[in-house]
Amino acid sequence: MPLCSMENVTKTYRLGSQTVEVLRGVSFGIEQGEFVAIIGPSGAGKTTLMNLLGCLDVPTSGRYMLSGRDMSNLTDDELSLIRNEHIGFVFQNFYLIPYATVFENVLLPTLYRDHNTNEAAKLASRLLEMVGLQERDKFRPGQLSGGEQQRVAIARAIINNPELVLADEPTGQLDSKTATEIMKILARMNQDGKAVAIITHDVNIASYAQRTIRMEDGLIV
Amino acid sequence: MKQAIQAVMAYRVRSFFCLISVALGISSIAVIVAATEGAYKRAFEIVGRFGPDSLLVIGGSEESRALGRWPKTIKLAYVEAVRQAFPTVYMVVPMTFVGDIPVSFRDKKYQTRVIGSTADYTRAWTWPVIQGSDFTEEDIKGIRNVGLIGQEVSRELFGETDPVGKYILVRRIPVQVVGVLAERGITGGGHKLDNRIVLPITTVMKKFVNETQYITAFRARFVDQHNLKAREEELRLFLRQEMRTADDQPDPFRIVSPTAIIKFLVALTGSLVAFIGIAGIICLIVAGFVLANLFLLSVKERTKEIGIRRAIGARRRDIVTQFLGESVIITSIGGIVGFILALLGSRLLTYIAEFPMYFSWKAFAVGMGLSWIVGIASGLQPASRAAQIEPIEAIRE
Ligand SMILES: Nc1ncnc2c1ncn2[C@@H]1O[C@H](COP(=O)(O)OP(=O)(O)OP(=O)(O)O)[C@@H](O)[C@H]1O
Ligand SMILES: [Mg+2]
Repeated sequence: MPLCSMENVTKTYRLGSQTVEVLRGVSFGIEQGEFVAIIGPSGAGKTTLMNLLGCLDVPTSGRYMLSGRDMSNLTDDELSLIRNEHIGFVFQNFYLIPYATVFENVLLPTLYRDHNTNEAAKLASRLLEMVGLQERDKFRPGQLSGGEQQRVAIARAIINNPELVLADEPTGQLDSKTATEIMKILARMNQDGKAVAIITHDVNIASYAQRTIRMEDGLIV
Repeated sequence: MKQAIQAVMAYRVRSFFCLISVALGISSIAVIVAATEGAYKRAFEIVGRFGPDSLLVIGGSEESRALGRWPKTIKLAYVEAVRQAFPTVYMVVPMTFVGDIPVSFRDKKYQTRVIGSTADYTRAWTWPVIQGSDFTEEDIKGIRNVGLIGQEVSRELFGETDPVGKYILVRRIPVQVVGVLAERGITGGGHKLDNRIVLPITTVMKKFVNETQYITAFRARFVDQHNLKAREEELRLFLRQEMRTADDQPDPFRIVSPTAIIKFLVALTGSLVAFIGIAGIICLIVAGFVLANLFLLSVKERTKEIGIRRAIGARRRDIVTQFLGESVIITSIGGIVGFILALLGSRLLTYIAEFPMYFSWKAFAVGMGLSWIVGIASGLQPASRAAQIEPIEAIRE
């Protein structure tokens, strides 16, 4: 059974009287532990697809299954819980909380579930060590370089041990050397058994993936 | 919780403003509670000293006294008559006041009020003699020149030396000091008490005011304190009869009762409470609005933060809790600061106006309770606005 799968998923946005059909029937799946890259021109609907994969939004029609569960008719609270437990997000702009320390940023997802504070703190330290930032744990995000911030974001994405990590242009703000470092970390996470889906414009970045999906105009081609 | 404190710190200028306005509001409210409590406490202290079983009858109608006259209406003979007529009365003490009498001891001079009374005076006011002894029945009968002096008189005339047995001149009449009264402070009306000299009433009547019949006032204490209201009315009618007051005339005397004292003090406090109360409520409402608007601004600025929290798994109610927590933390600190301000402010008020204040856990509890109400009331709308933010909107590049 695939980790997640879409069947004929569409997404339309309503802008006043106009409707914009952003996804026009997408069917595909991601296997357990797979590394997938999604490429395609701007406006093709990649981010929209990722929002659906990450349960940040629900399809207009079609079916989305995650870990064998239908995600179409869940409540907002249930979707929040799914995101918390099963999905990790990495964004182009890092999106760390500016007033919290590096360590607290990594811990953030554990605040929203019943957790053992001690264990969570230990895990956060271990993850910071894994991304090479154990010495920076008391820093604020503003005191870090872009690459370092993205490494914090990756540690945050995996602290609740999700099966699926979604990264929307995670290297878009970084130079090629730093981008390579980030990709190595993502590749290692993938080797540790997590499924990774990454959106990118860069073919070099896409080459880290086992499979590349190309999107154009709301469809997979 | 820790996160909320961090957020409050991160937006400290804005937090500071909210905090100050809440603090002002809370401090005025705390002052009110303290003033009310202080007034009651003071009232009960005064009543305790006055004697909760006592009635004080002062000569002259309200009207004539308001005009500054002090007509003679009470006869010394009434004292005995009251004793006879009221079975539950256990003490009736006559008093005659003479103001502005020069007093001297050797070269030390002093000007004060002299009170003529009986040996019951100190008992009637529960005002003990702490040095020497009280004067006696014989002193009264013998119209002797003996007296008790208040603490201030003792300090002014004698300094550190023991006044007992010494002779002082009271309006050129030599009087032997037999006792010194305990420190007494100030009455409910703000009169000093420690500057008094007490002489036998017979001595004062004969040698100071040249009077054979009339006295200024008398005090009656009753065994049945719970019936004091009824006794007061009976005493009023009894005195009207004794004085042969016509039915259409007002009382030619005034009866002061413990309830009258409490009423007076409560009315005095009431005006202050009303004034500060309105100011405090306005402060809190303004603080609430300022807080609500600043928080709304904060929510707009922190859209991305809210979006990422939601993406990571925060439910709407987690966001509400977070923002409410932040506003309640600010208002709570405001409440504490306000309470401290109130403590300082009331020092000042007590210093200027001799106003009784009493801070108890009640003032603190009311202050904190109100600060939480303001925090929740003003945080609720911004918090629910924050919870409505959709993560995909918030984190769109
Ligand atoms: N909330 C929305 N309301 C209306 N239209 C939207 C909304 N979100 C996305 N769109 C539209 O859907 C289309 C696809 O957007 P999407 O962000 O998925 O593209 P993308 O492939 O991620 O592009 P890029 O590579 O530039 O990030 C765009 O034309 C966009 O304007
Ligand atoms: Mg995009």
